[in-house]
Amino acid sequence: MTAFEPIAMDFAGAGDGRERALALLLLSMADDEFVIGFSDSEWTGIGPILEEDVAISSIAQDELGHAQALYTLLADVVADGRDADAIAYDRPPEGYIHARLLDHPRGDWATTIVRRYLYDTADAARLEALADSTHRPLAELVAKIRREERYHLMHVETWLERLARAPGEPRDRLLAALRLVGQDAGTVLSPLPGEPALVRHGIVAEPFGAIEGRWRSGVARTFSRLDLPPLPATRNPGRARTDHSDAFRALHAELTMVRRSEVAATW
Amino acid sequence: MTDPLALDPVLPPRERSALPFNDEALEHDERYRHFEDHVTRGGKVEATDWMPDEYRTQVLRFVEMHANSELMGVLPEREWLMRAPTLRRKLALTAKVQDEVGHAQLLYRVAEDLGKPREAMFDDLLAGKTKFHNVFHYPTKSWADIGIIAWLVDAAAIVAQQALRDSSYAPYARTMKKICWEESVHIMHGRDVVVTMVTGTPGQRAAIQEALDRWWGPLMQMHGPRSDRSKDRDIHWRIKAKTSEELRQEFLGIYVPRVWELGLTLPDPNLGLDPATGEWRYTEPDWDELRTVVTNHGPKSEERLQFRRVNREATRWVREAILAAPRAAA
Amino acid sequence: MSDAAPADGRTLEPWEVFRQEKDGDPMRHGGSVMAPDATLALHYAREMFGRRQESVHLWVVRRTDIHDLADVDLLQPPLDRSFKKPGGYVMRDKLAAAREVSGQSQPKANKGAR
Repeated sequence: MTAFEPIAMDFAGAGDGRERALALLLLSMADDEFVIGFSDSEWTGIGPILEEDVAISSIAQDELGHAQALYTLLADVVADGRDADAIAYDRPPEGYIHARLLDHPRGDWATTIVRRYLYDTADAARLEALADSTHRPLAELVAKIRREERYHLMHVETWLERLARAPGEPRDRLLAALRLVGQDAGTVLSPLPGEPALVRHGIVAEPFGAIEGRWRSGVARTFSRLDLPPLPATRNPGRARTDHSDAFRALHAELTMVRRSEVAATW
Repeated sequence: MTDPLALDPVLPPRERSALPFNDEALEHDERYRHFEDHVTRGGKVEATDWMPDEYRTQVLRFVEMHANSELMGVLPEREWLMRAPTLRRKLALTAKVQDEVGHAQLLYRVAEDLGKPREAMFDDLLAGKTKFHNVFHYPTKSWADIGIIAWLVDAAAIVAQQALRDSSYAPYARTMKKICWEESVHIMHGRDVVVTMVTGTPGQRAAIQEALDRWWGPLMQMHGPRSDRSKDRDIHWRIKAKTSEELRQEFLGIYVPRVWELGLTLPDPNLGLDPATGEWRYTEPDWDELRTVVTNHGPKSEERLQFRRVNREATRWVREAILAAPRAAA
Repeated sequence: MSDAAPADGRTLEPWEVFRQEKDGDPMRHGGSVMAPDATLALHYAREMFGRRQESVHLWVVRRTDIHDLADVDLLQPPLDRSFKKPGGYVMRDKLAAAREVSGQSQPKANKGAR
């Protein structure tokens, strides 16, 4: 599956696909955190009120910190001399495997909150299934990330509720954002190639299909309580992490701009 | 400093009746005299004290301009938030810009408690009625600018802010202590970026020198023209304690040697320490340029104000519906 | 400071923030945030006074819920109260006299004192 060869996979001990499956898992998670972190960090300096500006920036920084830690774990697994920065930055846009949900730009405040809510809840379900991973460094990192994510969930849920309960423009914008990104929400938990190896080796506790089912139930309960329409099925699940948007390509061009200006320099 | 974030454990009291100027039975002129006496002897003023109109408007203007500068100061660096070349630099720059927003919050809060709502302050800033510091009206051209700004612009600011930690207006003084502690990290980040590039490729080193050549003029203008201490109302009311020239000398004394030790040059052939007087000599800054820039005719003034207007409008629905401003004023 | 209308959960008002720097320290006033209710006030307090891990505990209180006292007659009353304070008990001369009477001109050094 050539579309899924984003990084060099020639390392020893590939065995029955465990290493490759683990590498893809770590890369998918790292890319998710990297892209949403970058995207939401755009709110720094232009948030709706000063206090909220600081809050959303902290959340974005946390995601970038998680990405950095995940890229570092991946660098250890792949062990081809690249560090976290090289993996994070030195790929063409088609080499990234973040979920299509995160290809949407941050949009207005309602779009950011909706995207955050859908991502944070899906990520929470994913992290729960990794809490007892047989890959110890991952289990340890997941324990720390889950503690940080608690604040993200608290904050985004309070915002979802506020928007849903405020009649007129806020609720209308919330509904419009759901129409825009709802079909892509499930891409965070779409199965990865090599998933059987992940489950067989106990890297993840259960298949992503089961994780997605539980996540959807949780979202349905919240949406029902807030009188929001049910989340639709995932559009085109087979291409959940490929075919990136123009918005992402533009983001990629910008985030690599300085680094590309002096190749192999130290910054 | 063992407790860098310690702020006085005192709530602004409703009446500090031990102070004679708070006595409502006295005539205005008598209250004014008591107040002036109190302040010029080093006494502190809280938000709920009686103040002469002159003091209140002077402090408000001072704090408001500072708050505006933090808010507008976000924008030059924000342009490079998406472009940071490593994860660590990205995190550091995002945290720094976030801190500036935080400083704006702290300062607008101080100004709000003096009686002006933040929306009114934003209205005035975006209509060009109030000002922000010169350095934030200039463009950034490369990643090297990010290093130079975080190091030297923040250094010039911290020199001024340290001197404000003993301001007569106590809420402002307390805020300055917190801000100074946070700014010290920014300077380290900036200097680290500069030193890394200076010891990097020839292209990186050249970029730093070029950025420094461009920023030196605005930096020299930043503390403002020399003023007569005896005529300075901000100094009279102890809102600030040091003159522009004292601050500039302090900045030069610390940072010019640090620039030179990296093998970088500064674009002023007259710049140097006079060993006889201990004072730094320099080419007189272009005060016309300063005046033009701070009246919003700088290279990026209008573009950045317009950017803020557009973004303020884009999030207006959030404030009106969810985070409403207070209705009637008290 | 006005007596504001009851919180409707949407109007911004000032909340005072108190913070504890480390275990065992008292809560100290840090500043204030504008927020529409207690939930966001706590989140914003965490951001303004805790995002750098500089606090271990935070309180937020609506400014209008604070009752204060600064009346000088109550807090700095004019008559002598030295009997309530350590500085009100100066015994140096009396101790010197007592030692003389008991035949010791200098206080005995205590083992392991100080």
